[in-house]
Order: sequence, then structure tokens, then C-alpha cells
Amino acid sequence: MKKEDTVKLISAEGMEFVIDKEAAMVSQTIRNMLTSPGGFAEAEHGEVTFPEISAVILEKICQYFYWSLQYSRGKETEFHIEPELTLELMMAANYLHT
Amino acid sequence: MGGVCSRKRDQQVVEDGMRRGVSGRYGKSGSSKWLLTSFSRPMVVHQPGLANCPSLMELCIHKICEDINQYSSFTMLPKDISQQIFNKLVLSHLLTDVFLQKFRDCALEDVWLGEYPGVQDSWMDVISSQGTSLLSVDLSGSDVTDIGLGLLKECSSLQALTFNHCENISEIGLKHISGLTNLTSLSFKKSAAITAEGMCAFSSLINLEKLDLERCTGIHGGFVHIKGLSKLESLNIRCCKCITDLDLKAISGLNNLKELQISNSNVTDFGLSYLRGLHKLVMLNLEGCNVTAGCLDSISALVALAFLNVGRCGLTDDGCDKFSGLESLKVLNLAFNNITDACLVHLKGLTNLESLNLDSCKIGDEGLANLTGLSLLKSLELSDTEVGSSGLRHLSGLTHLETLNLSFTLVTDSGLKKLSGLTALKSLNLDARQITDAGLSALTSLTGLVHLDLFGARISDTGTNYLRCFKNLQSLEICGGGLTDAGVKNIKDLPSLTLLNLSQNCNLTNKSLELISGLNALVSLNVSNSNITNDGLPYLKPLKNLRSLSLESCKVTAAEIKKLQSTALPNLVSFRPE
Repeated sequence: MKKEDTVKLISAEGMEFVIDKEAAMVSQTIRNMLTSPGGFAEAEHGEVTFPEISAVILEKICQYFYWSLQYSRGKETEFHIEPELTLELMMAANYLHT
Repeated sequence: MGGVCSRKRDQQVVEDGMRRGVSGRYGKSGSSKWLLTSFSRPMVVHQPGLANCPSLMELCIHKICEDINQYSSFTMLPKDISQQIFNKLVLSHLLTDVFLQKFRDCALEDVWLGEYPGVQDSWMDVISSQGTSLLSVDLSGSDVTDIGLGLLKECSSLQALTFNHCENISEIGLKHISGLTNLTSLSFKKSAAITAEGMCAFSSLINLEKLDLERCTGIHGGFVHIKGLSKLESLNIRCCKCITDLDLKAISGLNNLKELQISNSNVTDFGLSYLRGLHKLVMLNLEGCNVTAGCLDSISALVALAFLNVGRCGLTDDGCDKFSGLESLKVLNLAFNNITDACLVHLKGLTNLESLNLDSCKIGDEGLANLTGLSLLKSLELSDTEVGSSGLRHLSGLTHLETLNLSFTLVTDSGLKKLSGLTALKSLNLDARQITDAGLSALTSLTGLVHLDLFGARISDTGTNYLRCFKNLQSLEICGGGLTDAGVKNIKDLPSLTLLNLSQNCNLTNKSLELISGLNALVSLNVSNSNITNDGLPYLKPLKNLRSLSLESCKVTAAEIKKLQSTALPNLVSFRPE
């Protein structure tokens, strides 16, 4: 995987998730950060820190990104959400426009 | 943030009757018009070939609705998120009085429970707990009483309040809303308990822009109370038989009125003279009023008028020369009047017209010659007139036409080639017995057609070959009796079809259902009066978007349809036999 094709998402605790840029761009918020010209430092370093998203939620979000890519390619499986994560996940989804 | 963006206010500008055209057609269950009125809740139509991925937000909301018992309150959520959960529960009919409690103090902005089952006073406590966040409430059709309505007093930010046909609301309840001065929209359709005296409560609602009292029977004399509502732009008092000329006098000073609907009331030409000063009036609906062409004098003074409905007014040619002065008109409904070609002469100069409805007027081919200059016409309704083939040549230059209704006219196959250049046409109604395959063959250039109605036309299997030219068709009706399964083969390749009516073709068999099983955008299907049997039903399983299914007078039982509904067709809400 070439470095420029990936991004690093960093959780509140500092846990790092390296994922495909294509997957991360499922989020409208991340897409804006990575693509807006001359703006965010995130675009330069390919790193985004989420001080309000915990690792367990960020992991779930990364899973969703990949699930979403597969879904739009025709593989319509079910995405499982643990009931205890739902509320927190929803707030993160709201922030990420996902 | 999302809450504000997702706000969708009721923005009906033109009354629906005018758009739809008023037609007394019957026996066509499964027509799109019927669908529009039957399903008040929005529906999701699956776009074939487009995998529409649910957002994570949608998945979470879905999950919460599934596990709703596990949550005691949503107050910790941002208000736009709890709003989305609330809306989803309403939409999926899962909201109960118990679940509603979880939304206490959630700062919801919209509570739209119109026609929702079970809504009563006991719900109002939680609804009013939204306090000053609450902006719009719809409790139409509920059992809420004056006491429940009173609880909304504290929600002082309210902008829109809808209490249509709430039988338990009386003039006493109305007093409670007199302090809601931020209201811009108020609707109490079909509320028999609203009286002239009760309307006194409206007098303080100085920000009111829209007032809807359609079908209220006791409001005569109450308009003196709204004289001061200078911001009022839209007033709907359709079908209020009690309304008379005197009431028009009371509203004559509402200078900001843009939209006034007084159809089916008791106003006369004299009453309309009170309206002459309404220089901002854009839309006037007088359908079914006891007026004559004499009222056109007053109407000519309405310089901004663009929409005029004088359908079913019993107009004759007498005095119709006054129409020539209404040059700003864009939409004119003259349907069901006793006017003849002599009246059409006076429409010649109305070159801004985009829509003209002449349904069931006594007009014929010669009259249409007066329409040739109306080059902006997009919609022309000629149903049930004496128009025949030779009149159609006058239409061939109207290249902006998108909607043309020639049902029950004298038009024959030979005339239809005059329409072949009208390539902007999206909707064409040729429901007439004398139309056959030959007529259809002349229309293959109309590739933009979205709606094609050949209800009573005598189309055979051969004729269906021409349908292949109409790849964009969303609705199709062929019920002339001449189709067999072989003809349905040509229909199965119309991927956008959402409405298909093939009833009265008694030779159709289960094979037809097999053929159309790939039309997965279908929302409404009617194959009544055919040889379909219970054995054919499984072919319908892939039609996940189907909401209406009619298989009347077939060898099909209600029990089998219900089985199909519960196992494969979750969206099916209406079916026959039932």
C-alpha cells in the first residue's frame, strides 16, 4: 500500500488506524479535510486526529467505511452494530457526516 | 445543525386541484392520481441498478428503533439527532405513548403526527415539554381536545400549527393559541367547531402568513377578526359553503394576500368586486362558485394574477371577451363550463399561459385555432371535448407541451401524427376507444414520455412493439382488452415503470406476471379481470416496492395475497381482493 493512498485516523486515546484514503473519504467531513485546497494540515500529513472519538468507536467507523465501499459495489450484507455502541457511534456519525 | 437543514416546510403554492386537473373519471383504481392522495407518508422508491448505501447515521437510527426498549431517555443526544430518531419512529409507525415519554425535554423542533393513530391528550405533556425549541406541530386527525391544545401555550416559538379535522377542538381551545404570536402558518381544515367567534383568537397572530380553514362550516362572519393580519399571504377557505360576499368584504384589506382559495362557496360577482385592491394576488381559486363572466371585470384589476381557476362555474360565452384582459395569466382552469369556440377567441392573446384546462367544455376543432399562438403552453387539457383529428394540427406548433390530455375526444389514429413533433411531451392521455395500434405507431418520436394512458384504447399485442420507444415510461395504462401475454413481453423492458395498469385484458395469464417480475420499481400494479391465479403470485416476490396490487375478478384469494405480503412484500399497503 503506497503511503499517499492511505490516511491515519487517530482516536482520543492516541490509537492510530491506517486505512485506505478511498475508505476514509466515505465520510464527508474527512473528505473535506483531505481535499480542500490549501486548507487543513490534515491534507498535508494524511493524518486526522479525533479528540472526541474513542478507539472502540473509531474502529467501528473504519469497519463501516469498508462495509460501505463493498455495499456500493453490490455486496449488500448487513452491518452489525452492538447496542451498547449505538449512541456514541451515532454522535460520531453525525460529526463525520457519515 | 442537521435539524435546521432538514426542515421541510409545507410550501404548497398552487392548490393541487389546479395542477392535477379536475376529472370526474371513475373506475380507474390504480391510477397515479389515486396514489397521490392515498399515501400521505413519503415513500422510498428503489432506483433499479443503483445500490443506495445507507449512511452510518441511518443504520444507527434503525438500530435504536429496533432496541427502543433499552433506552429510557434521549435527552443526552443533540436535538437534531433525537429529532431524526423521533421521525423514524413515526415514519415506521413504531411510536407509542410509552416510547414518546423517552423524548421528554429533548428540544425537538418538529412533531409531525398528522393522521398518526392513537394520538390524544395524554401525548401533549411530552410534546409541550419541548418548550421553546418546538417550531412546528401537526396533530391532524387526532383526538386531542381543548385541554391538550392548551398545553402548547408555553411553546412560544411555534411557527406552524396544524390541527386538521380534529373534532374535539372547539372555540374554547382556540383561545389558548392567541398568545402564540410567532405563528406563521395555521391550519384547522374541516373543523366544525371553529366558529366566527372563535376566530377572535386569530386576531393577535400578527405574524400569520398562511391560514387554512378549508371545509370549516361555521366561520361565516369571523373574518372581521383577521382584518389586522397584514402579513397574511395565503388564505384557503375552499369548500366553506357558509362563505358569502360579506366575508370577502372583511378580507378586502389584506393587501399582502398572494393566494386566495374560495372555491365551492357562496360568493357572487358582487363579492369579488371587494377584491379589486389585492394587487399582490397571484392565485385565485373560484372553482364551483356561483359567478358569471361578469366577475372578470373585478378580476382584471388583479394585476399580479397568474393562476385563475373558474372551473365548474357555469360560465357561458356571454361576457367572455373579458378574458382577453388577463394577459398575465399563466394558469387558467375553465373546465366544466358551458363555453364554446366563441370563448376561445378571447384567449388568443394570453400568450403567457403555460397551462390551460378545457376539460368537458363545448369546444371543437375550430376553437383550437386560437391556441396556436400560446407558444409557452406546457399543459393542455382537452378531455371530454368535441375536439377531433382535424383540430390537432393547431397544436403541432406548441412545442413546449409537456402534458396533453385527449381522453374521450373524437381524435382518431389519423390525427395523431400531428403530435409527432411534440417531443417535449411527458404525459399523454389517449384514453379513447377509437385509438388503435395505428395511432400509437405515429407517436414513436415521443421518446420523452413518462406517462402514457391508453386506458380504453384498442391496443393489441402488435401495438405494444411501439412501446419500446418509450424507455422513460413511469406509468402505463392499457386496459382495452386486446392484450395477451405476448404483448406483455414488450412491456417488461420498460425499467422505470412504477405504475402499470393492464386490467380488463381478460386473456392475460400468470405468464404475464412472470414477465413483469423484473420491473422492480413498480409501486402500483393492476391486472384485474384477467386469468391470473394464486399460482402466479410468487412471481411478484421481487417487486419489493409494490404498495398497491389489484387483482380483482381473478382466481386470486385475499388469503394468498396476504401471505405474499407478509413474506415478500413489506411495502404493500393496499390490495384487492382484500
